Amino acid sequence: MIWKISMNEISMLGLFLGSLITGSLALLKIKSGVMDVVEWELFSLMGSSIVFTLVLDWISLLFMSFVFVISGSVLSYSGSYMAGDKTFNRFMYLVLAFVLSMSFMVLSPNLISILLGWDGLGLVSYALVIYYQNEKSANAGMLTILSNRVGDVAILLGIGLMSSLGSWNFLFYSYYMDESWMLLKIFLMISAMTKSAQIPFSAWLPAAMAAPTPVSALVHSSTLVTAGVYLMIRFSAALEGSMIQSFLLVISCLTMFMAGLGANFEYDLKKIIALSTLSQLGVMLSILSLGFSDLAFFHLLSHALFKALLFMCAGIIIHSVGGYQDIRFMGNLVKFMPLTVSYMTIANLALCGFPFMAGFYSKDMILEVAFMSWINFIALLLYVMATGLTVMYTFRLIFFSLTGEYNLGSLSNLSDEDFLMTNSMSILGLGAILGGSVLSWMLFPECYMICLSGVMKMMVLMVSILGGLMGYILNFMSVNYLLKSIYNYKSVVMMGSMWFMPLLSTLKLSEKSLNMGFQMEKVADKGWFEFYGGQGLYYLFSQVFFILNSLQLNSIKVFMKMSMVMIIIFMILSM
Amino acid sequence: MSHIVTRVTTHSRKVCSLYKRSLRNLEAWYDRRYMYRYRAVLLRARFDENKDVKDMRVAQQLLDEGEKELFSLIHYQPRQFAYSPGGVAHGREVVPPDWVLDYWHPMEKAAYPEYFARREQRKKEYIEWWEKTYGKPAEPAH
Repeated sequence: MIWKISMNEISMLGLFLGSLITGSLALLKIKSGVMDVVEWELFSLMGSSIVFTLVLDWISLLFMSFVFVISGSVLSYSGSYMAGDKTFNRFMYLVLAFVLSMSFMVLSPNLISILLGWDGLGLVSYALVIYYQNEKSANAGMLTILSNRVGDVAILLGIGLMSSLGSWNFLFYSYYMDESWMLLKIFLMISAMTKSAQIPFSAWLPAAMAAPTPVSALVHSSTLVTAGVYLMIRFSAALEGSMIQSFLLVISCLTMFMAGLGANFEYDLKKIIALSTLSQLGVMLSILSLGFSDLAFFHLLSHALFKALLFMCAGIIIHSVGGYQDIRFMGNLVKFMPLTVSYMTIANLALCGFPFMAGFYSKDMILEVAFMSWINFIALLLYVMATGLTVMYTFRLIFFSLTGEYNLGSLSNLSDEDFLMTNSMSILGLGAILGGSVLSWMLFPECYMICLSGVMKMMVLMVSILGGLMGYILNFMSVNYLLKSIYNYKSVVMMGSMWFMPLLSTLKLSEKSLNMGFQMEKVADKGWFEFYGGQGLYYLFSQVFFILNSLQLNSIKVFMKMSMVMIIIFMILSM
Repeated sequence: MSHIVTRVTTHSRKVCSLYKRSLRNLEAWYDRRYMYRYRAVLLRARFDENKDVKDMRVAQQLLDEGEKELFSLIHYQPRQFAYSPGGVAHGREVVPPDWVLDYWHPMEKAAYPEYFARREQRKKEYIEWWEKTYGKPAEPAH
């Protein structure tokens, strides 16, 4: 009897097993409060040793557990989603390489070894973005890798700075980094901003949606983009009380607001979810910059569960409607795909912070702690508006795709009867419902002390309800014979184009240097440098060698002349 | 424009092109079919208003104004067919043509000796079959 198990099934089983092991170990670590550091000496010569270090504390193990469970679900899901693909195995290897890089990144307490995982993530994510071989993917991949490269360089510079300490182990040194280490902190902040796509590096995340949807579910929602947040969590001790915190707060609040606003004017289903991820990354980094790294980590984990689920639902929808990602082509999907739509609604509600879903525990607590903290009015306003906008774009998405009228062609066959895909979504669906409460019981055995006035306490709920109503009613009203957005054309275009950030990060950044390069080539390389360089030297040498040649070829005459000259000189001198 | 213009584009073709692009633009703004149809009828009426203009100077001016208006209202995210140029799924899978294999380096071919030996054999058989069925191709004139 021959057992035939496909690669996605084996990978899924392995990853789920890994998740179970790391999750159990994380629970033990939380309970005991012990951190294990494994040092593996690779090479030792003349007293200097190269040691590979792994840190196994509850943060890294819990994160690993989540990465494994999400990647397991995604790989199982890919078994159906990518089934028709010619290079399915290549896809699988790339995703597994991604999980390996992520493990390196998460388990490294050392800036050099973290770079190994960090660069690996960048490289594999590039390979995954350009997995489809069209021009859009190529452009998106280039934007992704180059934006992330800035962060890689910042880490390299950080390594250079930290070399003066004699070790790159930030686990201990981060506690002793005062204001004199400002430059290192700036470098680390820049690298976190690039990976977590904060302003001004935001353009790459929506562009990276050119990747296959399972990749978006794993890489661009729950794992890779949170690497920046994770790095900041690891360095949170060093950030405590520094100027970096204020700067990061401004940037993250702006990102949160910009992404929320952009999602309300976006039409691409996957890009809406990507912008939502961007907004949530802003939430994580903002609470981290207020000094609550444990809350940032809590939101990182709960967000990973429901956002991966949201992307997987989007994938099934995109598959069903024949490759379309534009929400204007969708509508009334609740009648055709009830299970997928249910999962999508669960994920959406968790995202909005609907009571007792995953997002509620983390996001609500973050907002209340932020309201209680010492922040300025603008940051507070951005927090409130971004929360409202999150609910608003969620309801807009529901309005466009799930309810209303069916907008695609009359001949279509929509269903969600793909059990491989729906089954793998069930695990994350469970996580989106229960993940928040379970995590909060695990991570916070003691209650967080929150002291707010009644108005402030109800603020999040009120803003969410208001956002939901506005999201639905405004879009309902916008379905009009006389479109209002045309009258506010300029502002609509600006908000729908992420404040023109993709344009600024691509064309506007490279236009000048490209033009200059063209001019340099025309004037210098093909102009004066050629005239005096290549051609000029050739002419000069050919002239010189012509003279030398003529001297050589007429040797007898020359010798006679030279003898005559020598004789004359000799005679003159002897006189 | 990267292509060389080899023919004159007539005025009526330019108007038709403007009309089609305007309809597509309307489709992107008005996502409900019945609203789009209403706006499309109004657009058609605007075009029909000037269909009998005989003075080419006026017609040209109208066309320029139309182009300007369309440019000023162009949608920031136009609706695209997924598998058509510009769409999200266009050209995702590139299938390299068969003749690419003939251009492999001999060293590369040597890595798969059986495959390429069979390929050469099949090519020979195919040429034989072709010549038997359709006759030998004519010699080139030059």
